[in-house]
Amino acid sequence: MIKYFKDIWETIATILGGMGITFIHLIRARNDNVTLQYPEERWPRPERNIGFDHNNYNVIRTRLHVDMDDCIGCLKCERACPVDCIKIETEKAPARGEDIKDINHVGITTNGTRKAMVVTRFDIDMSECCYCNLCTYPCPEECIFMTGGPNAKKHPIDYEFSEPDRSDLIYMFAKPGTKDGLEALTSKEEVKA
Amino acid sequence: MTVDLIFNTLSQFFSGFGIDGPLLLIAMLLPCALLFGFITIYALVVIYTELKVSSFIQDKVGPMGQGVGLHAGKWGLLQPIADALKLLSKEDIIPSSANSPLFILAPFMIFVGAFISFVALPFSSSIIISDLNIGIFYILGVGSIAVISLILAGWASNNKWSLYGGMRSAAQIVSYEIPAGISLVVVVMLAGTLNMQEIIHYQKGGISNWILFDNPFVPIAFVIYFISALAETNRTPFDLPESESELVAGFVTEYSGMRYAFFFLSEYANMFVVSAVAATGFLGGWQSPFDGYLDSPFWGVFWMMSKTAFLIFIMIWIRWTVPRLRVDQLMNVCWKVFLPIGLFNIFGVAIWTIMRG
Repeated sequence: MIKYFKDIWETIATILGGMGITFIHLIRARNDNVTLQYPEERWPRPERNIGFDHNNYNVIRTRLHVDMDDCIGCLKCERACPVDCIKIETEKAPARGEDIKDINHVGITTNGTRKAMVVTRFDIDMSECCYCNLCTYPCPEECIFMTGGPNAKKHPIDYEFSEPDRSDLIYMFAKPGTKDGLEALTSKEEVKA
Repeated sequence: MTVDLIFNTLSQFFSGFGIDGPLLLIAMLLPCALLFGFITIYALVVIYTELKVSSFIQDKVGPMGQGVGLHAGKWGLLQPIADALKLLSKEDIIPSSANSPLFILAPFMIFVGAFISFVALPFSSSIIISDLNIGIFYILGVGSIAVISLILAGWASNNKWSLYGGMRSAAQIVSYEIPAGISLVVVVMLAGTLNMQEIIHYQKGGISNWILFDNPFVPIAFVIYFISALAETNRTPFDLPESESELVAGFVTEYSGMRYAFFFLSEYANMFVVSAVAATGFLGGWQSPFDGYLDSPFWGVFWMMSKTAFLIFIMIWIRWTVPRLRVDQLMNVCWKVFLPIGLFNIFGVAIWTIMRG
């Protein structure tokens, strides 16, 4: 008989204790919540440190970006790429180191190099990229780089690039219309000559 | 009461047309339509509350809509409407081996059982569809219709999970009606009437005159009634008829779309009914807790609704705290704990009332 009432008391006490715990969670929901409202809130950006006290090695391998105004079309990055995900096509520029306004071509890079080539195609397939960072070292103009980290002032960090279609992952850095524009330009000059 | 009122108003307005028959029909259907609208809106609100409370208890944020595009509105306020639209637009499947007339009948019957209980619920001193002189008895009586429809749903589905669920629910509801009824006997003994409005009038005069605080036995009766009501509405921790870990979804396994929505709606409607009965019987119904203040009919609706809403909130709170019972534990609690203590309560209240004079 004593056990009977003891059991009832224990049931009531434990249920009330449990309800107390859930009520504390209920009223503290704003502080305790673990859900991230993803597109609006994001996890903190990863900091990469492989142990060397050197910025070039501590680059966060996020996404390749090319600054086309500085690209001279030397193809060194294309040759360095171990998976051949960089495709570059170049044409000889009509005059070395001169701007071509029609196709937004800039003649002189920020390092002062006079461009001999016009880059008509610069595609990087990020679905094939293995993030080895090998293409960035040979670049004489330092115009191909991983976004963020030490390069954050050139381009903000960008590591979320999901797309609905796989072909959307091929990033085309060459300015749109460069090829057609250059062809039209050269054919016009031939007519003049 | 309300039907007579509407009928008299209408027949005065259309006097001389000789269309009393259709007018009576209108007078009957109008409160039903209002009540159905009320139940629907109330269900949307409670579904939203349940989603949010359950999420907050589990340290989540619940339905949220942010940014641009198609989403559930600010704080997910449109989520219950989206759920309702989804249920409305879903395919209506009747299994080929099911007994289709009974299969179709079951969701309507369970909803009717919940719906007609609303007739005797007093929302305010003047707002009551029908002021029956056996109101509390009537509500307990029609509450049992649910058993038939649950067995019907389980049987007609021709599915072992459904049949198990239906049988479990029958055993559960039939058992738990006894402690619920016995606890309400305490109320009836004190108030000396079965009429809902008169039970509320008995509790006039502030929080100290509520039946809950009448004597030390009544709080025990209240707890027994509340837990039994929880079991009657098939809510966790007593959701054995639809326990998904054992029976897939119990008696609703084969139901989809709008038929499933009716089971859902009647569960929430039943929650309102049992909470309103508890509020009427123990917490003073539409009476203000402060004697003489905020006592107009409008405030009556407010007090009734807030007391009911508080009890519904406790139901949701219990659901997300306590795990499901086993079948033998369920029966054990009913027959070995609630029934003897409930009978003892009646005895105690009787002695107390006689001694007090």
